[in-house]
Amino acid sequence: MGREVAESCVDSVVIEMVSAYCSRLYSTHPEIAARRIEAIGFQVGHQLSERYTMERPRFSDHLEAIKFICKDFWSELFKKQVDNLKTNHRGTFVLQDNRFRWLTRVSYDPTPANSDVSPASDPSQVVDKAAQATSMHLYFPCGIIRGALTNLGIPCAVSADISNLPACSFVVRIKV
Amino acid sequence: MIVCVAVVGHQNNPLYLQSFTEADDALKLHHIVHCSLDVIDERVNNPKKTGPTLNETFLGLLYPTENYKVYGYLTNTKVKFIMVTTDLDVRDVDVRNFFRRFHSAYVDAVSNPFHVPGKKITSNTFAQSVRAIVKSFGSSTAV
Repeated sequence: MGREVAESCVDSVVIEMVSAYCSRLYSTHPEIAARRIEAIGFQVGHQLSERYTMERPRFSDHLEAIKFICKDFWSELFKKQVDNLKTNHRGTFVLQDNRFRWLTRVSYDPTPANSDVSPASDPSQVVDKAAQATSMHLYFPCGIIRGALTNLGIPCAVSADISNLPACSFVVRIKV
Repeated sequence: MIVCVAVVGHQNNPLYLQSFTEADDALKLHHIVHCSLDVIDERVNNPKKTGPTLNETFLGLLYPTENYKVYGYLTNTKVKFIMVTTDLDVRDVDVRNFFRRFHSAYVDAVSNPFHVPGKKITSNTFAQSVRAIVKSFGSSTAV
């Protein structure tokens, strides 16, 4: 029996989690905050992969597991599949989502009204700061992917790349 | 009647082991479970090349002993479920059904945020639901 939760609640929890770790718990150590958020994602992915791989045959190779992440897993999480999957056939996979759901409501604030931005800062710095804040939101999905794949027996490293919002690509490097 | 069920992690570490007999034969049952791990390894590493059963989670009858039948199940996450029964006339569909319910009970147990992955399952709720599943297995075959 599946129980459902409103999407806005999930959005709020994710945003609040990121902001709590970044600005309250580890405001001076962004790299520790990132690692903590990634670890939470790892656990979530670990548990979800167990549930979503029920009732399906075992995967015979890495590509099949990655395809599962792109299709079924992504559909369960974001109600859509990954738009593009690229691989170099040597253990690196790029999963591109042209409209990543958790980034659709992220926007830059071009006016340096925030007190933590010094008035002298130029717009490029503001954009830089915003990109940094956005990238903080991507450690959680990265952790989810890594947790799911690790539970399926594929140790890997996952990083995210945001060159043009709201498109987002996740780079999976399988450890051999 | 099911006399023993076990959950074994991907490194062959026991996660849950429970026998359901009055007699003092838990050790013997644990030994049977232990032996069946080798059979599972063998099945997985040398799969029979027969279409539909290839890579299926349900591994079927692992091996029959004099008094018991041992069935196995391997999830996508390399967790093994083992079931030992004294019934000699078991229908495959019943066993599949049992493992499906057992798997969902397991998934619920490991989704508990306080469960540490790779550690033994200590949840009481899990133990209870396993007991219920085991009990219903006996009744459904009796009908």
